[in-house]
Amino acid sequence: MTQEAPLQRFTNASHYVLDDELARIVNVSMALELPLLLKGEPGTGKTRLAHAIADSLGMPLIVLNVKSSMKLVDALYQYDTLTRLNDSRFSDSSRDVSRIEDYIRMGRIGQAFTAEQRVVLLIDEIDKADTDFQDDMLDVLDQMQFDIMEIDKTVTARHRPVVIITSNAKKDLSDPFLGRCNFHHIAFPEADMMRRIVAVHFPGLDEQLVDACLAAFYRLRDLEGVEKKPATRELLNWLRALLVDPDVDATALAEGRLPYLGILFKKSADLEAAQMQALA
Amino acid sequence: MFRPFFYALRERGVMVSPTAFLRLQRALSMGLVQSLDDLYTVARTVLVKSERDFDAYDQLFAEHFADEAAAGASSADLDQKLREKIAQWLKKPKKPATSVEPGAEQLERMSPEELEQYYHDRLDDQVGEHHGGRKWIGTAGVSPVGHSGQRPGGMRIGGISRNRSAMQVALERRYRDYSRDKSLTRGQVGEALKRLRHLIPAGPHDALNIDATIYQTMRNGGEIELVFDRRLADRLKVILLIDNGGWSMETHVPTVQTLFNHARNQFQNLDIHYFHNTIHERVWNDPERVHSPIPFEQLLARDPQSRLIVVGDASMAPEELLHAGPSYTLRRVSKQASIERLQAMAKAFRHAVWLNPLSPSLWPYGQTINLIRQTFPMFPLSLDGLERAVEHLMHS
Repeated sequence: MTQEAPLQRFTNASHYVLDDELARIVNVSMALELPLLLKGEPGTGKTRLAHAIADSLGMPLIVLNVKSSMKLVDALYQYDTLTRLNDSRFSDSSRDVSRIEDYIRMGRIGQAFTAEQRVVLLIDEIDKADTDFQDDMLDVLDQMQFDIMEIDKTVTARHRPVVIITSNAKKDLSDPFLGRCNFHHIAFPEADMMRRIVAVHFPGLDEQLVDACLAAFYRLRDLEGVEKKPATRELLNWLRALLVDPDVDATALAEGRLPYLGILFKKSADLEAAQMQALA
Repeated sequence: MFRPFFYALRERGVMVSPTAFLRLQRALSMGLVQSLDDLYTVARTVLVKSERDFDAYDQLFAEHFADEAAAGASSADLDQKLREKIAQWLKKPKKPATSVEPGAEQLERMSPEELEQYYHDRLDDQVGEHHGGRKWIGTAGVSPVGHSGQRPGGMRIGGISRNRSAMQVALERRYRDYSRDKSLTRGQVGEALKRLRHLIPAGPHDALNIDATIYQTMRNGGEIELVFDRRLADRLKVILLIDNGGWSMETHVPTVQTLFNHARNQFQNLDIHYFHNTIHERVWNDPERVHSPIPFEQLLARDPQSRLIVVGDASMAPEELLHAGPSYTLRRVSKQASIERLQAMAKAFRHAVWLNPLSPSLWPYGQTINLIRQTFPMFPLSLDGLERAVEHLMHS
């Protein structure tokens, strides 16, 4: 087995708090040239990780936001038939109507393959798409090439992109899919980790306030009968709201007077439950 | 060393594919694994594909890498090349962190007798001094005996114990809550809901959408492009019967109620009824089982396409299930034995399951559980059980 030129290693990036375990997993996936599948509840920083990797490796980031109706070919390339039809009728464009290639536009995966330099390709929320899409996509990523049928041309990746795939676990992914990825589940950050995350976003925040907020936040997450628990994103927004309100102080929070619960709980039933139980 | 681990994982139901296993070997040979911590993380990310298996992995990792060293059986299995590699990486000692006195919990991992036995065995085997290794006694190794090693649960021979290692992390069982076989808890309602989402009928893509077809054909410059939609299927009706009598059910009832209430708008119709132990002449609409009874016959006359889900521990005195006629212990007089009613229900509703919060390991010991299992397909009330139950409801 040939060792590649010095492995590019991913360490840390600003605005993303990384634990060692995760850094190790990212490095291993890059070395093994396997896509890394990240699962975890919303708000655990799956998407942000890709941004951080791109940042720290100095590679451009290409994001493919998967939609439920998406077909694989949309992610690879598009054949703009409408423009071609238009051009052939009015012939006032600089494109050559007889050259189909002029009407092929690269999709996100295509862009990642044809990019001048190595890129980070983030495939966000893969679980939204159907199984066929997932399996076919991995075939493409495995072989690092795809065919453009209309012009009978094969696009091969110039540089193997670093592929990060995220899933919210709405649907289970198929076994063949899982078999071709490295897997990591990002657990919800614990209080210590969360403190570091908060510190990154709000440097120099009053310690007492942070303590009180985090205590309240984790208490609220443990409430019974809540369907959508508040996540990191909600916590940060909540903190932002608390910071602009001059009336908020740590002691009030510690006593259980919690304003702006609506930021933390996005469903009305959850909000009611939280308000009931927070008062009790 | 790795092969038994691989098979142990498979035995525990963690479906590790040979490809993944080879991939791990590749990672090892590429020098990506520099310590036991690395091994823990790398092996997990490469081998295990679901957070629900992380707990099993943690347990096996701790169990396996401790047991095997203790048994001394590894040498025959250990691939020579791999052994060199691993010996190599263990020679780079990690820098000592703040010293921690080993807690009682750490000592529990290997019984004192085992440790002592191992220690003596190694003394017999060992020739010469040794630093860094995973089996011999020495310093800075991961053998369970020696000092300043990275293996917790080991016996300290002088020296001080080091910082957290993979073994400790594994033994913490951080992923216990995600484990497949644990009984459902409040905290898992969200996760369980996702399992229930499959409880939705889906027709095949076979209804021609004319408007879209015309539009797409135009877009295609006249080339005909057919667009198919999913055939509409009616949403499901669900009948949920909950056994809310008896302390054994107490902790599970609110979880189940929350779960299905959250999923309510996904169904055309969700009826929740209550019963105690088993079903006799009636079930109740109110949890107190006093105010609004529903006669059994009425329950039976519901839409046979409804999905029937019974939640109960199926544990009771056998006569309560089998006896018909006047009863001495119970207030009721039943014309029909309860088991016959259950059978009638299982016949009336083609799609029916029984969810049991008791651990499946206990099922063989319950007489009434066995009887009911013959009537209803029974699944444990866990994430995994729920998933299988939903599958059964949709495909039976």
